[in-house]
Amino acid sequence: MIESIENALQIGALIICAVVSLYPTITRKSREWMILFFFYGSFLLGDIYWLVCLIFFGDTPKISVVSDLSWYAMYIFLYMLLIQTAPPVKTSRLRALPWLGPIFSVAMAVFFILRGEILSNIIYASLMGLLLFSVICRFIDWKIYKNQIFLSIMILVFCLLEYGLWTASCFWTSDTLTNPYYWFDFLLTVSAAIFLPATKKAVEE
Amino acid sequence: MNYIENIYICLAAPLILAIICLRREGRRALLFLLAGMTVCLLSAYVNTFLAGAAGADLIEASHEISPVVEEILKFLPMLFFILVFEPEKKVAITGFLLVAVGFATFENVCFITYYGTSDLLRLIIRGFGTGAMHVVCGMIIAVGLFYLWNKIWLQIVGAFALLCFVIIFHAVFNIFVNQSGVVFWIGSVIPMTLVLLYMVFFRKRIS
Repeated sequence: MIESIENALQIGALIICAVVSLYPTITRKSREWMILFFFYGSFLLGDIYWLVCLIFFGDTPKISVVSDLSWYAMYIFLYMLLIQTAPPVKTSRLRALPWLGPIFSVAMAVFFILRGEILSNIIYASLMGLLLFSVICRFIDWKIYKNQIFLSIMILVFCLLEYGLWTASCFWTSDTLTNPYYWFDFLLTVSAAIFLPATKKAVEE
Repeated sequence: MNYIENIYICLAAPLILAIICLRREGRRALLFLLAGMTVCLLSAYVNTFLAGAAGADLIEASHEISPVVEEILKFLPMLFFILVFEPEKKVAITGFLLVAVGFATFENVCFITYYGTSDLLRLIIRGFGTGAMHVVCGMIIAVGLFYLWNKIWLQIVGAFALLCFVIIFHAVFNIFVNQSGVVFWIGSVIPMTLVLLYMVFFRKRIS
């Protein structure tokens, strides 16, 4: 029950965010806002799919490929947003620090593979690793990517909250508010909403 | 028993004759329609096979297997067309639309031969709803592919993301239209509304 309520609240928040991001997509014909709209759309449709399965069939989907696809799309759109809002400057220097992101993702993937599916966890690790790598690169070259720092911080927070959510789901299964899974999911909704001002800052500066 | 390959032959025969007789744009448009019908037939086979392999029943297959199979197969003829012929944006976008229309038409014909033609109102809603859903999915991929990204590697990754997006949209639509009453209506009306919104807000930019 609590899962359905929490899902419904997240859906409501995401609908508002999608509508808000659609407005500049139409009025300014902005690619960046359209990518953000697709990000919210993927998140929203994944949630709706999960919720309607719970409501109409009384259970989560038996084959989770479809819902996984919506999360994959969500991370790809986030990465695209990062690429699209980046200034047209090339930084070719290879550094060690950004590789901490992919290393962390691989370590977490091994942890999750021991408890679940192999292929989907490898794909999640690849996408998360790519996102974390790009975000850390932007922190290092903060003078070049000044406009993207807020967006990068939010993407980092979003990724870490996702990991918190997944880890919580491995250890806590209760359907009450004491389950940290719901706290992480609530914070995830808040962080997703903050992408709106973060994108605005990245686009307008 | 519903012999969809027989229906396919009946529908495809006049199209094939017209394709032989017509030239240029007319021929290309009918080829896209035929491609849409053909991938619909193929997806029925692939869906049946995968549903059997996964042990899924009809309802489960409709929202867990068929959206994935149908959207990927619908994308393949256009991917071939784009890679081989390198068409202009407008031609490719029209192609996406016509493949989707061909797919939806064949799916609707199969639907009415299976469920009958007695309930006209439901058929109208179903016809427009399914048609609009396939058109929306085709347009999302086409618009995203040609207007969102200008680098080839971004287009490849972006195409995958958009494909994922339309698959989940298709899956949610299938769940809604498999219900009865108000849920069926809502599910059918959403893609129609999206087509109307697209016509109002985005058409100028595309044309």
